[in-house]
Amino acid sequence: MTAPTEAGTFGGWPVVHTDYRVDRPVFEHYALLDGDREAAPFLRAEFTPVPFWMVTRYEHVLEALQMPDVFGSEVINAMDPRMDIEVLPNVLNPPEHTKMRRVLNRWFSPAAVRRLEPLVLSRCVELIEELKPRGECDLVSEFAIRFPTEMFLATLGLPVADGTQFLVWVEKIFAGFFGHDPQGAMQAQAQMHEYFNAAADDRVKNPRDPETDFMTRMVGAEIDSEKISRHDLLVICLTLMAAGLDTTRSALGYIFYYLANHEEERRRIIADPSLTAKAIEEFIRIYPLVFQDGRLVKTDIEFHGCPMKKGDVVWLGLASANRDPRKFSQPEEFIVGRPNANHHLGFGAGPHRCLGMHLARHELVIAINEWHKRIPDYEIATTEPLTERGGQLSLNKLPLRWKV
Amino acid sequence: MSSWKLSVDDSRCMGHGRCYTVSPGLLADDEEGFVTLRGSSMPIGDDQLADAEAAEAACPERAITLERGS
Repeated sequence: MTAPTEAGTFGGWPVVHTDYRVDRPVFEHYALLDGDREAAPFLRAEFTPVPFWMVTRYEHVLEALQMPDVFGSEVINAMDPRMDIEVLPNVLNPPEHTKMRRVLNRWFSPAAVRRLEPLVLSRCVELIEELKPRGECDLVSEFAIRFPTEMFLATLGLPVADGTQFLVWVEKIFAGFFGHDPQGAMQAQAQMHEYFNAAADDRVKNPRDPETDFMTRMVGAEIDSEKISRHDLLVICLTLMAAGLDTTRSALGYIFYYLANHEEERRRIIADPSLTAKAIEEFIRIYPLVFQDGRLVKTDIEFHGCPMKKGDVVWLGLASANRDPRKFSQPEEFIVGRPNANHHLGFGAGPHRCLGMHLARHELVIAINEWHKRIPDYEIATTEPLTERGGQLSLNKLPLRWKV
Repeated sequence: MSSWKLSVDDSRCMGHGRCYTVSPGLLADDEEGFVTLRGSSMPIGDDQLADAEAAEAACPERAITLERGS
């Protein structure tokens, strides 16, 4: 442990007490993160039971993400270093991590995403057409979560119709992730393991083409000539679900919130849908949802002047990096086609970069284009202030209305 | 005759796919989503230089290097 040096500092760096786990008005988390980043490149956070180092600036965050030997993934959330829900392969380090990713990558590659396109498109259109005659909806709960849930099931070759049941479990898991209902989350975890277990049993009995069916391939998949255990397979399935659904819902929430409030930008995208992919990239830069990646310090290191000790927990500030003016000029401005937009860390970097990034981008582009073809004009249907969830950002709701 | 070389560092490339997205005429993706040039290099002709520069600049991991070849 590094000894406190003077009041309000630790190891020479400022101490912060801002709680990033709680709900706040929309965009307040970003304002707080921007403030912390400009205060110092490193801060000592003391708002959780286990204090940790915050790394706030782009260069340092990227470098640390690329140093898995020093910053290990035994911890993946700085605010909750002892996670109750099991996840894989997020918590592995190379070389074990690399081997498991090799088994998973092909199901989430651009080629796999292209194969899924007809289904993504048709389900997206159906969901929008279902909402359109109503003239209103809560975008978050009635569109933004339903769409990625179904696409997750489709990617794994599971029945899209199971989406309704999945949503109930998913909400419980997320409530547990962010500390609201740990018991409910454990229950949902058990139910989802049971669901995936039944699907795996089915594929053992009735195998499909292992080239195109995830579960058939996975029940026989090996790492180092050893079969992936059934338990690990269930954990992998639950992780893919947890990683893919909340984030896509959240991205859609922020994107629609922005487009509802910025008619000119909305019109530009409607007039030229080829801009959407670039707009999505900039949205992910400016409104990152996973605002930190946790890591565990594996060996004592003086990291650019920050005295980190083996066993310390570290917060790698993905969101503050994405909004760092040293890297992105006018970072608070939404600029479609900014020259270095591709360098954002919204999907992370290093060996743990988001497995589902290609699927996510594709879902977002299709959702934005298909929605605006059918519902080009809409407005926020409440005067109440909207809020965002802490922990991992997501709008709690986004009521929209449009003329029918 | 080309005077430039484009290389992708195997240890840094993480499969973000930005290079083949910005320069699809020059680079392609494999079944796992990595650029097929990962871990090797290719000569770049003058007519490919702009695409190669764009690919190098697009990489968030700084895995791509464009340099004068022999």
